[in-house]
Amino acid sequence: MATEESKSSILQGTLDLMVLTTLDSMGPLHGYGIARRIEQVSEDLIALNQGTIYAALLRLQQKRWISARWGTSENNRRAKFYVITPAGKKQLQSEAQNWDRMASVMGKLLAATRG
Amino acid sequence: MLNTWLSLFSRIAGVFGRRSAEREFDDEIAAHLDLLTEDYIRRGMSPTEARLAARRSFGGVAQVKETQRELRGLPQIEVLWADTRFSMRTLAKTPGFTLVAVLTLALGIGVSTTVFSAFNAVALKPLPVADPGSVVRLERWFESRSLGNGQYAFSYPEYLYFRDHCGAFAQLVASNWPFPVEAGEQRFLAQTVSGNYFASLGIRAVLGRTFFADEDGAPGAHAVLVLSHAFWERQYHSDPFALGKTLRLNGVVFTILGVAPESFPGTAVPPEPIDFWAPIAMQTELTRGYDWRDDANNRQFVLLARLSTTASLKSAQAEAAVLMRQFAASHIERDRTAGLTLQRPTYLGNTEDPRFLAAVTKLMLVIGLVWLIACANLANMLLARAAARQREIAVRLALGANRGRIVRQLLTESTLLALAGGAAGLLVSAWTARLVWPEIQQGLLGRSEGLLGRSVSFPLFSLTPDLRVFAYTLVLALTTGIVFGLSPALQFTRPDITRGLKLEGSAFGARLTRPRFRSFLVLGQVAASMFLLATAGLLLRGLLRSYAAQPGFDARGVYLVYADFGSDPRQAAARQQRFYQRLQSLPELRNVAIGGAPMTGTWTPPIFTESTSGRTLASYASPDYFATLSIPLVRGRDFTAADRKHGTAVAVISERAARRLWPDEDPVGKRFKLDMNFRGKLAEFEVIGVAGDVRYANLSRIDPAHVYLNYDAADLEPILVKTGGSLAAVRKAVLAADPDLARSAGVVRIEDGPLQVQRALAGTYAEFAALLAMLAVTLAGIVIYGVMSYLVNCRIKEIGVLMALGADAGHVLRSVILQGLRPVIAGSILGLLGAGVLSAVLHSSLSFPGSADLLYGLPWWDPITFGGVTIFLATIAVLASTVPARRALRVDPMVALRWE
Repeated sequence: MATEESKSSILQGTLDLMVLTTLDSMGPLHGYGIARRIEQVSEDLIALNQGTIYAALLRLQQKRWISARWGTSENNRRAKFYVITPAGKKQLQSEAQNWDRMASVMGKLLAATRG
Repeated sequence: MLNTWLSLFSRIAGVFGRRSAEREFDDEIAAHLDLLTEDYIRRGMSPTEARLAARRSFGGVAQVKETQRELRGLPQIEVLWADTRFSMRTLAKTPGFTLVAVLTLALGIGVSTTVFSAFNAVALKPLPVADPGSVVRLERWFESRSLGNGQYAFSYPEYLYFRDHCGAFAQLVASNWPFPVEAGEQRFLAQTVSGNYFASLGIRAVLGRTFFADEDGAPGAHAVLVLSHAFWERQYHSDPFALGKTLRLNGVVFTILGVAPESFPGTAVPPEPIDFWAPIAMQTELTRGYDWRDDANNRQFVLLARLSTTASLKSAQAEAAVLMRQFAASHIERDRTAGLTLQRPTYLGNTEDPRFLAAVTKLMLVIGLVWLIACANLANMLLARAAARQREIAVRLALGANRGRIVRQLLTESTLLALAGGAAGLLVSAWTARLVWPEIQQGLLGRSEGLLGRSVSFPLFSLTPDLRVFAYTLVLALTTGIVFGLSPALQFTRPDITRGLKLEGSAFGARLTRPRFRSFLVLGQVAASMFLLATAGLLLRGLLRSYAAQPGFDARGVYLVYADFGSDPRQAAARQQRFYQRLQSLPELRNVAIGGAPMTGTWTPPIFTESTSGRTLASYASPDYFATLSIPLVRGRDFTAADRKHGTAVAVISERAARRLWPDEDPVGKRFKLDMNFRGKLAEFEVIGVAGDVRYANLSRIDPAHVYLNYDAADLEPILVKTGGSLAAVRKAVLAADPDLARSAGVVRIEDGPLQVQRALAGTYAEFAALLAMLAVTLAGIVIYGVMSYLVNCRIKEIGVLMALGADAGHVLRSVILQGLRPVIAGSILGLLGAGVLSAVLHSSLSFPGSADLLYGLPWWDPITFGGVTIFLATIAVLASTVPARRALRVDPMVALRWE
């Protein structure tokens, strides 16, 4: 129980950010589309249990960073489509900056230890 | 921050509309899986393979749904709601269990609530004035450390001094102790108050007006009255034209100015049903012959101050204490004032008095015991229930249920029970309150009734539960549910699942699981019930005897005459002597004497003879005292006028005193010494006679020793008269004897007054004891029956096996009953021993001659009580084990083996 929680909490922030970026770049998408997109971009480096993105979607909705509505998918099925909100865009911007900063610090640190 | 709030808002919204959200999510997942499957088919898988692959890559559907559920709403609240519904269903499935548990709790909580609401009504009620929070009552502390309502008494000069000098008081008002005033044939209760009294306390007249400040100016100038609402209703039938009407009091015509609101019955300490208020400037007119206003030692007034907005209680107290010291230094006091405090005033007045607190504590202990028994009973029943559900719990644990979750569910159940018990307890309390309330009121208003010679009632007193009572009950119920539900919940959710599953497989095991805790609980429960039962039984037996108790003296036709002879001791003594002589000359009075009035108080000085020492009751008596009270003189002679004239130190002693001090000797002519002031001021007396034994100190027992001393006029002992005439005739004769005293004089029939108070008091106690005994019988019965039948039920499987193996039914029955009885017997021995010890301790306090005997002469080990209680217990215990055991014997062995 406890280990599962810690694993998902590490994933949590990252997954939320991935979902936000995907929606920002791709426009309205359903859950399956988002999951596919993340898998494609990561070139299957991330073994994603597709179901887990629904928790991220709900969290983001509760924070009003994305909104959802029912629509029709490419194969004429009813599906729920998610859209990023203006508040979500703002959040994405600051999160992305954060991430870049973190990544560069991480990169420098790792380079120093290896070098 | 904002996001946190948004999330919380969404979650709260998520609690509702849960079902549609769930359905919607099902659709969403289905769509997702379809898309995924199609994708796999496109990549060349067969439909079946594709479906499985989609499931794999999606992850556990149930887990995803569960995470979603947890995220969506507020799991804490939803779980609580679910637990509550589940508990209600399980409780409804066992109505017998639920009913008994709720009833026991209702008794335990209800009794406690009754006592609390009485305490709340009496002691916690604030003064009925505007903004009571800023009002304080001045309380003085004596060097002699004497306590009581005298601490609230201040003289008029003291009032003026505080009023004019204390900056922390925005206002200071004075009101005296209510006193009776004659108006024609009737007596009313009046109070004089300072001119600013109503205005400062924020009391507005419902009709007319209250006093102007200048109406309390020149003495005797403004003969005006404000009526109490009750008096206006009673005397004027709420007539609005009562305003401006006049009332002739002591020959002076007073004009009615207004009527106080119903919510304001006055601020007297203790509360009294005042009929009307007059300005202090009219005091000499109302109490002819006395002036309370000039004498700094004549303490007649209670002072209430409204603190100024800038002053804190602490700073005000510091300032007032300094003023008190300054004033005290300016004159000589009989009992020096050591300090002054400001008290947050309660309606009753002196609720800090240690004697009052001691009484409350004692009551609370008894009530606490009742509550504990009820709670132990609940714990026991829950334990039994949890044991019966052990397999269910073990299965749930085995299936991966979280232990905390199960504990929480069990706690929800016990709390629900306790809350239901609390609600039922409120009903019980409403009923018992109606039983005890008249008694409490009687106790509070006894003085007023004695003064007025009629029954009075007090509108503001009520036991209607207020918010505080509800809060008390709620907290008590919640505590009960959680504290006593916790132990069974924790015990039966221990994580060793296999043991739990196996144990339930054998009922032999269930009995052996937690024997120590369980038998401790049973033992304690039975002990507490038996203790309560025996104590209540003893009290009831004793107090019932009070109805038959005879005082030993003849109270018929004896009246107590009292009057205010003034504050100067020497003049007062001379005045009383004149009054006494005049009464003696009245032909309608058969006997007139001065001396101690029975049952109004005791003086128990140390006594010494050549050979022994101890304590004795002592009182004063004049010639003819014994004849007045019809106490026989067994030996020697009565006091004579000559004794008094020469002030010879002679005494008459009671038979028991004679036997104790000089066994087998003639006491007449012997000498003894008394410590007159408890500090070694010895005085020697010669015994001149022996009087018959009576119950002088109180009705509960014959005085163990009593010495009557030759009275001294300076002591102002009460006057007793005996006559064949009626109360009205006596009153008329007495008042005619000295018209100057008529204002303050009163006549009380001993049978109505002190004796009646004693009987009423015993009656109150008896009622309380009866209630307690009823409660104890009910609780003890439920407890013992519950425990015994549970113990037997635990062994049904064992009995079945024994029977299947061909055991003798009678033998099995005997062994089952004997085994079940063991903890019950141990517990009751403990409880009876406890009651015996308590009774013996109470009994030992009787060596003090003034103390009351609650058992009215019963021996402390009263065989009827203890025997009766034991028989009651044995009957219940045998019944409780026989009935289920017989049932067990009849059970088909095959059924018994599968019994859970």
